[in-house]
Amino acid sequence: MNNFLKYLIFIIISGVLIAGILVPIPYIPSLGDKARIIYLHVPMSWIAVLAFLVSMINAVRYLKTRDLQKDLIAYSSAEIGFLFSILATVTGSLWAKFNWGSFWNWDPRETSIFILLLIYGAYFSLRSAIENPEQKAKLSSVYSIIAFVTVPFFIFIMPRIVESLHPEDAIVNSQGKITMNPVMLTIFLSSLAGFTMFFFWVLNLKVRVEKLYHRFR
Amino acid sequence: MYDFLEKNAMYIVLLIALIIWIGLFFYMFRLDKRIKKLEKDKNTE
Repeated sequence: MNNFLKYLIFIIISGVLIAGILVPIPYIPSLGDKARIIYLHVPMSWIAVLAFLVSMINAVRYLKTRDLQKDLIAYSSAEIGFLFSILATVTGSLWAKFNWGSFWNWDPRETSIFILLLIYGAYFSLRSAIENPEQKAKLSSVYSIIAFVTVPFFIFIMPRIVESLHPEDAIVNSQGKITMNPVMLTIFLSSLAGFTMFFFWVLNLKVRVEKLYHRFR
Repeated sequence: MYDFLEKNAMYIVLLIALIIWIGLFFYMFRLDKRIKKLEKDKNTE
C-alpha cells in the first residue's frame, strides 16, 4: 500500500472523529447525542463481516489451488475480523450501559455476536491443535467456509426476526428508504470507507508479518 | 474541575479519541516501514 493511501486513511478517519463529535445532529428520540456511536460502532461490525468474508474467499481459493499463501490470508483476515468483532462488542456494550442501563442485556444482537465470537474462537483453537501445515490449512479452510455461512444469519437476519431493543431503521427502514439525516449519512459513509481502507492496510501488514515469520523460522 | 469536565465532555472525548488514533496511525506507519526494511534485507541475503 503506498504512502498516499495511508495519509488518505489518516485524513478520513481523523475527519470522521472530528466531524462525528462536533457536527450537530438532529434530535433522535431516546438517543440524543448517544446516536453518534453509529459512526464508530457500525463500521467495526462492517469490518468484522468484511474480514470474515475475505477469510472465506481465501479459504475457497486455498482449497482450489492448495497454495499455503491463501491460507495465510484467510487466517490473518479471520484474526482481524475477530478483533473487530470484539471492538464492536465493547463499543456496543459501553453504549448499552448509557442507553439501556447495563453493559450486557442478552439482546438478540449481543447474543448473535457472542455466538459469532465463539464460532471464530473455535476456528483458532482448531488451527492451533493441528501441527501439519497442509492438514491445518485444509481443515481450517473447510471450517472457515462453514463458519461464514452463519455470519449473515447472526448479523443481518436473527436480530431482525426476534424483537430487539437495538435501534432499527437508523440508516435504512424496512421499505429500503434511507432514513438517516444527509449530514450524518455523509459522515457515516466516510467512516465506512475510511475503516474499510484501514482494514486492508492492517490485513496487508499482518500477511507480510506472517510471511516473514515463516521465512525466518 | 468536575464542572469543567462536565461542560467540555465532548471536547475531552474528541481529544482522547484523536490522541489514540494519531498514536495508532504513527505506530502502524513505522511498523510498515520496518517490515519493508526486513523484507528488503531478507531478499538481498
